Amino acid sequence: MSRIIVGMSGGVDSAVAASILVDKGYEVEGIFMKNWEEESEFCSAEKDYKDALQVCDILGIKIHSINFAKEYWERVFEHFLEEYKNGRTPNPDILCNTEIKFKEFLHYAKDLGADVIATGHYARIYHNNHEVLLKKGSDLEKDQSYFLHGLNQHQISSAIFPIGDLEKFEIRKQAKKLGFNNYNKKDSVGICFIGERNIKEFLQTYIPSKTGNIVDQNGKILGEHDGIMYYTIGQRKGLGIGGGHTNQNGAWYVLKKDAINNVLIVGQGHDHPALYHKRLKASNPHWISGIAPKKHTLNAKIRYRSNDVPCNIIELGMDNIEVEFKDPCFAIAPGQSIVFYDKDICLGGAIIESYSN
Amino acid sequence: MYYFDHSATTPVHPDVSELMDSIQSTIYGNPSSIYSSGQKAKSIVENARKQIADSISAEPEQIIFTSGGTESNNQVLWCMLQNQKKHVISNNIEHPAVIKVLEFLKPFGLDHTLINVDSDGIISIDNVKKAINPQTSLISLMLANNEIGSIQPIKTVMDIARENNIMVHSDAVQCMGKMELDVIDLGVDFLSLSAHKFYGPKGIGILYAKEPKNMSSLIIGGGQEMGLRAGTENVACIAGMGLAAKLATASIDKHINSLLEFEEQFKRGLQTFFPNAIFNGSQVNKLPGLINVSFPKHRSDILMAKLDRVNIAISNGSACGAGDIKPSPVLSAMGIEDTINLSTLRFSFGKSNTPEQIDYLLNQLKSILTPE
Repeated sequence: MSRIIVGMSGGVDSAVAASILVDKGYEVEGIFMKNWEEESEFCSAEKDYKDALQVCDILGIKIHSINFAKEYWERVFEHFLEEYKNGRTPNPDILCNTEIKFKEFLHYAKDLGADVIATGHYARIYHNNHEVLLKKGSDLEKDQSYFLHGLNQHQISSAIFPIGDLEKFEIRKQAKKLGFNNYNKKDSVGICFIGERNIKEFLQTYIPSKTGNIVDQNGKILGEHDGIMYYTIGQRKGLGIGGGHTNQNGAWYVLKKDAINNVLIVGQGHDHPALYHKRLKASNPHWISGIAPKKHTLNAKIRYRSNDVPCNIIELGMDNIEVEFKDPCFAIAPGQSIVFYDKDICLGGAIIESYSN
Repeated sequence: MYYFDHSATTPVHPDVSELMDSIQSTIYGNPSSIYSSGQKAKSIVENARKQIADSISAEPEQIIFTSGGTESNNQVLWCMLQNQKKHVISNNIEHPAVIKVLEFLKPFGLDHTLINVDSDGIISIDNVKKAINPQTSLISLMLANNEIGSIQPIKTVMDIARENNIMVHSDAVQCMGKMELDVIDLGVDFLSLSAHKFYGPKGIGILYAKEPKNMSSLIIGGGQEMGLRAGTENVACIAGMGLAAKLATASIDKHINSLLEFEEQFKRGLQTFFPNAIFNGSQVNKLPGLINVSFPKHRSDILMAKLDRVNIAISNGSACGAGDIKPSPVLSAMGIEDTINLSTLRFSFGKSNTPEQIDYLLNQLKSILTPE
């Protein structure tokens, strides 16, 4: 019988993942990971820990805790801040998977004698001859393969995703049936360490904000921004320059972030041509199989939960790639990842650096 | 379960448990009520007060029942806000129930100095002397440390305190039954104890005050405990604590001897297969049966989890509400670097142990630390 260690977040997904493994007769233990320290005395992780504890209690399994706050800070958070400072829009959850959950946590679990680790991710793993494949979760609304595209063969062959072929409603139903307190817990939204907080207020405590001009494409000053890092390409709300829906030319959108000159360039209307681009360049391509795909006509997501869009990898290097979309793509944000799919198989991805037409 | 964490808490003595059960089910009167069932409850409380007082050579009038060591410490420190002199001396390996209270009280006008300990976890008298200023009203010094067991030179500190007209409080929650506790001999003005550390129930403790009339209540309300601790008395727990104190005092020599034997057996055994073990803190001036060991190149959380699988309960570092382990501030204060700090376990033996259990512990440790 194999020993499986489950990363328990206190949420309903990992709880049901653990229960499935217990039902299958594995020797299951839970590990609660704490990756973030609050400055305040009040330990917000405590509520999550108690939820995880209650689940483990019902399942009759042991739970251990581990603090990766230092590793998270050094390898995920500092990079996250750096990206924001450079006017980009980073995705720390991708890095958290490659650096923390499927590196530090995996290593720790192996030290504890685990044969494999399990998490409550919505994704599926298939062992196919000599290769391990990562597939989208069955619940396409919840599919998290986007966040997992940075894993390698070693990492995914050491992991199982027990809920990957279930739908969210089934998870909640099962959790309720088992008496888990967290059955109705809200899905986590946004970046884990920011949680329910306002991202702007959060960033303010770490990065000094520098006000600057909001201009249109002709350089006409329309207003002042609070700091370029608070805005994302394609953002409509919170620009504070009026116009909104009532404006006959349409609402204002962030078209571009000019970090060097600290200027935010805006334009009117969701259909503004400057928001759509046909090509992008991306760096640090990573392929789950370990080798670049032979097929270059694929689908891609340029942010979590965006639709798959048909594209063609027109240049495929070791360090950089260039992608051309079939149709122009809305609001490509440097710092985010482009993730490639062949049907429901996640192949890997790269970090968006620039876009063009 | 193989329980080697008696410094965290102890199993309730069966006689104590039985007494408490019988009180809970039969004596439900309020000790403040004057009819006979109330009187009965009152006499149970006062009998326990006498038992506790006797166990530390105090007078019953000097014993205030509290919810435990933390509350007792709080009461002493909060009372210092009313003192004319507003400076307290403590040290950097004190329990959070002292250090955090001092930090909290600072903006309210109670100043403090935390003196350092040496690599043995013991304060130096010179440092105490240096920290004294004309405003110093109190020195708060734990009698023995909860993580490493080091025993502080309270009596020497007492002499200096007397000369300077300073009061002394000692958090002695680790000590009952493991060393002689005589408040006259120690000379302290205040002493905190907690029942669950000496085979009594949780949620009950005492504050010894040499001059209770100079104290004030931390919990405001009714006039219980001579007006020094409001709230209806926890009769069953108080009775349980009284009996636990009596039992602990009666068996102290035997208890200390068996703790020393367990300690010797453990240390000797450990060194045969893990000679790199580092025993932290003074090995001379320390509580018997409490051993703090670093296992270089091993992580304490991994060791703990593996020991837990074989039903062994021990502890490490300071766990937060989410159960994750951080470097122990006590070991840091002694100059121990973080990697060694995070490879440290505390073993604390007690009445529930046998030599066979220590052998089991050693065998399990051996197979974890030196796998084939």
